Amino acid sequence: MRLRVEVRLKPGHFDPEGDVTAKMLRDLGFPVTMVKTGKVYIVDVESDDREEALRLAEEMCRKLLANPVKDDYSLEVLPT
Amino acid sequence: MSLNGFKACVLRTGGTNCDLETSIALEEVGIKAEIIHMNRIENKSLLDYHLVVFPGGFSYGDYVRAGAVWGKNVLVKLRIELERFIEEGRLVLGICNGFQVLVEAGILPGDGVSETPSAALANNSSARYECRWVWLRVENNETPFTMMMEKGEVLRIPVGHAEGRFLTRSEKDLEELKKNRQIVFRYVLPNGDCANGLYPFNPNGSTYDVAGICNRKGNVMGMMPHPERAFFGWQLVEWGKTPPERGDGRKIFESIVKYFRERIY
Amino acid sequence: MGLGISLERMRYLKQYFKERPPTDVELQMIGQTWSEHCFHNVFKGDVITDDGRLINSILKTYIMRSTKELDKDWCISVFEDNAGIIDFDKGYAVAAKVETHNHPSAVEPFGGAATGVGGVIRDILGVWGEPVALTDVLCFGPLETRYDELPPGVKHPRYLYRGVVAGIGSYGNNMGIPTVSGAVIFDKGYTGNVVVYCGCIGILPKDAYVRNTRRGDLAVLAGGRTGRDGIHGVTFASAELTEEAEELRSAVQIPNPIVEERLRRAILRIRDERLATGITDLGGGGLSCAAGEMAYRSKLGVDIELDMVPLKAPDMAPWEIWVSESQERMLLSVPEENLERVLEIFSEEDVEASVVGRFVETGRVRVFTRKTVVCDLDLVFLFNPPKVTRRARIPRLTPAWVDLKEPIDLAGEILTLLSDPNIRSKEDVIRTYDHEVRGCTVVKPLHGEEAGPSDAAVVKPLRDSWTGIVISCGVNPFYPDPYWMAAASIEEALRNNAAVGGRRVAILDNFVWGSPENEDNMGRLLKAVEACYDFSKALDTPFISGKDSLYNESPLGPVRPTLLVTGVGIIPDIRNVVTISLKEEGSRVYIIGSTKEELRGSAYFRLKGVDGGEVPKLDAKLSRSLINSLIRAVDEKLVLSCHDLSEGGLGVAAAEMVVASKNLGIELDLGKVPSNTARSDYVLFSESTSRFLVEVDGARWRRFEELFSGLPFSMVGRVARGIGLRIIDLKNGLHELSGSEIKKAWRGY
Repeated sequence: MRLRVEVRLKPGHFDPEGDVTAKMLRDLGFPVTMVKTGKVYIVDVESDDREEALRLAEEMCRKLLANPVKDDYSLEVLPT
Repeated sequence: MSLNGFKACVLRTGGTNCDLETSIALEEVGIKAEIIHMNRIENKSLLDYHLVVFPGGFSYGDYVRAGAVWGKNVLVKLRIELERFIEEGRLVLGICNGFQVLVEAGILPGDGVSETPSAALANNSSARYECRWVWLRVENNETPFTMMMEKGEVLRIPVGHAEGRFLTRSEKDLEELKKNRQIVFRYVLPNGDCANGLYPFNPNGSTYDVAGICNRKGNVMGMMPHPERAFFGWQLVEWGKTPPERGDGRKIFESIVKYFRERIY
Repeated sequence: MGLGISLERMRYLKQYFKERPPTDVELQMIGQTWSEHCFHNVFKGDVITDDGRLINSILKTYIMRSTKELDKDWCISVFEDNAGIIDFDKGYAVAAKVETHNHPSAVEPFGGAATGVGGVIRDILGVWGEPVALTDVLCFGPLETRYDELPPGVKHPRYLYRGVVAGIGSYGNNMGIPTVSGAVIFDKGYTGNVVVYCGCIGILPKDAYVRNTRRGDLAVLAGGRTGRDGIHGVTFASAELTEEAEELRSAVQIPNPIVEERLRRAILRIRDERLATGITDLGGGGLSCAAGEMAYRSKLGVDIELDMVPLKAPDMAPWEIWVSESQERMLLSVPEENLERVLEIFSEEDVEASVVGRFVETGRVRVFTRKTVVCDLDLVFLFNPPKVTRRARIPRLTPAWVDLKEPIDLAGEILTLLSDPNIRSKEDVIRTYDHEVRGCTVVKPLHGEEAGPSDAAVVKPLRDSWTGIVISCGVNPFYPDPYWMAAASIEEALRNNAAVGGRRVAILDNFVWGSPENEDNMGRLLKAVEACYDFSKALDTPFISGKDSLYNESPLGPVRPTLLVTGVGIIPDIRNVVTISLKEEGSRVYIIGSTKEELRGSAYFRLKGVDGGEVPKLDAKLSRSLINSLIRAVDEKLVLSCHDLSEGGLGVAAAEMVVASKNLGIELDLGKVPSNTARSDYVLFSESTSRFLVEVDGARWRRFEELFSGLPFSMVGRVARGIGLRIIDLKNGLHELSGSEIKKAWRGY
């Protein structure tokens, strides 16, 4: 089963990379008011069970992919 | 008393790159230091050492988050031994990437090892790598790493990192740290006043200008600045103008020696 | 994309392949080996000039000849291997190499610049050196260029700037090698052709420099896997940058510094146990060039089994594997009895390594896949193709009069120059590079409490030696006369070195030029290399390595011809280094050298939009005497601070010393400056060569003056507290700038 794990900063957390990117885009003439950055992981797991796969992904985030002090995450099962 | 019996283990893994200068600093103050790769740690016992250092670098390319992969790797490979190591009052020092590792492994600021970090070292507020000399104020001089310093003393040590902005989960967590005297170093202005987040004195935007913290017991410390780069006089940024004999970073290593000398396992 | 082989060479090829047609693997290998990037056809070929001279190899005739004639016993290996090697201290040698990575950076700035750094680090590993310092010099178009000025295929300078700087920082920082020296230059002449110079300095025990591949040794390929990334990088390097270049993105290699970090660890362990007989890095042309060159230089042959090469993609064609320029790979020759230990070390460091072939006594390169021969070439044939002939038209600089009114507000002119993009602080770039890692950096790019700009960087590579390596650079692309431009660049590298106390300087040349098929480009190149011979000889400083990058063409025309000279000197005791910050109130300030009306191409004239007058020329004999006296003064500890005079002349040099100082400034009397001009602005901003501003110990100045007796020098003022610059002009007018005004103009904050 293929999963999409998106890790991004929690709301209200300062995102320097996003801010710099926004400034750069404005410099290029785009009417940009906000940019938030994050990371996307595409993960294949050995499981055919949707719930099972999501549970594994949840644990991956807890154990490695996200730091709960600053990160939120969202999970999605992708069609294969 | 001789320090012959005391040994330090400087750990490294792919991407670690400050292991050599860190072990030189240890050896200069008389502590026998061995650089050991994580691939070979299984053949060794951590408990043969009295100090474990996680040095600076870009372990595993800092992929996922700085220090995260090595941090988890430590949990997988060394958890039980490291818990005992800390419990017995032996010393753990994390510098720069090593600090990030200790935080990601849940060893700092908490007591013991945990799967869930309770702090973070986030991207610098300048959104870039910062290599510069900063001023640090000693907030707690009663740890094994700071006993050769005065409280309130200002140290000159360089930083070099892109992810050093210290964050806690909450205000309450920060208050806990203050109350437990776990904040060891803060970034300050040259005159010793608080930086209050002012760039570049606080080079990364750390909460409460935190540059280094320890666990409650004080035997585990992590810091973003690099004391091994401010060890010899000739490494200092003011070199060339009434050259100083030694750098402020040396005091951390000398403190460790003093601690070893006074404490008998 | 074609193979880029000329007609004459096609005939040579046809002659060789009378019996059978060449295979695709062979053709690809030939194309790579004979490319400008790998073979340096122009530097090794013939040049016919419009004044009727025939020059056989400008490399041998000029650059290498001076090194040969100087015949320094401290030069260990020059122009032979991946890097130049010179003697250092305590049985150690210093290795140095500078490369360009312009084309890849123009297409994909982050990856291009990062792999440029990665490549030059492997050049140092490729002579068994431990990398201890990196340098980089970058040239971009003006950051404020308008988008509509850019033709399709040319990326905005700001995009390139951000990507290149990030790429360089990322690779050096990740590898843990300090980036200690460099420059950033902005000019329209680089808008279409970004220039990225990457240099690396390393250190090795002299007896570890092993280059002795023997018959029967195994060819061991180590490091990253081989993939489709970076195929045809070398032929791409000589293609014009147009919109189509976008499609060549696959030619850009993908950086992975952590793999190279592990590779470095393993290679140094193998070196220290002396387990291998030879080593080379895989750069341009990939395995084909590395294996071929290693066999050829050892007067052997090599058999390579492509099936043994670990791949990123399983379906690669044999020719792709053979010429892929995937990064982070090295080739070693290992005696069979050491193989087990070598593979053990690689595995302990998490580096993939495989035996891919064997060195044999055939004099041929043979490549097998699934037991079939897919390439079988004679190495003498391969490495001796017909020479290329180029025509050169000798440039003659049109004299031009200068019509420029002397300004009244000299202080304002200084501030304007200080904030010029080419002069102002490069702190935004420098601080993103780790220049402290390894804990060996003595003189930092921004040094002192006030972080002033250093003339050169100093590193102390050995724990038990006080000797330092002094790294400097000279680059003056704005002087329109190529001969004097090269002379000034060489001397600037020496001056910067001497300013911190460096001596016994070896130099490296890196030419970045437009197409050599253009006779004017070729003429300018010829004048520049002539100067390289004349002045390296006269200044007693041998070239030890170099690299040329020609064909820097874009829809906006050729690149501004640029010669970078990197200086690698030593200081016997780093406790004697001199920095630019003023040290003591009341000490004396001297100017060394004489100031002439030489402002053509100067920062001041460019600012004023003036092109005329004389370019700075160089009296090599005088330069040597001045530098030698300065070094003696440094060794006798008479020099408190020192700064060389280059871009922006005396005015900028004095201001930069103030930038670096805390509460100290300079009182400067222009009337005391030895000069041939009656104009105050010319005294302040002339870029005449061989000059330094020196702060001298107030008690021992007589000895200092004695050392310079018979040479042009003069006391021009004193160090004073609480001021910035206080200048008395030639008509006794007073011009004042506070320290904070100067710092604000230079730093931008």
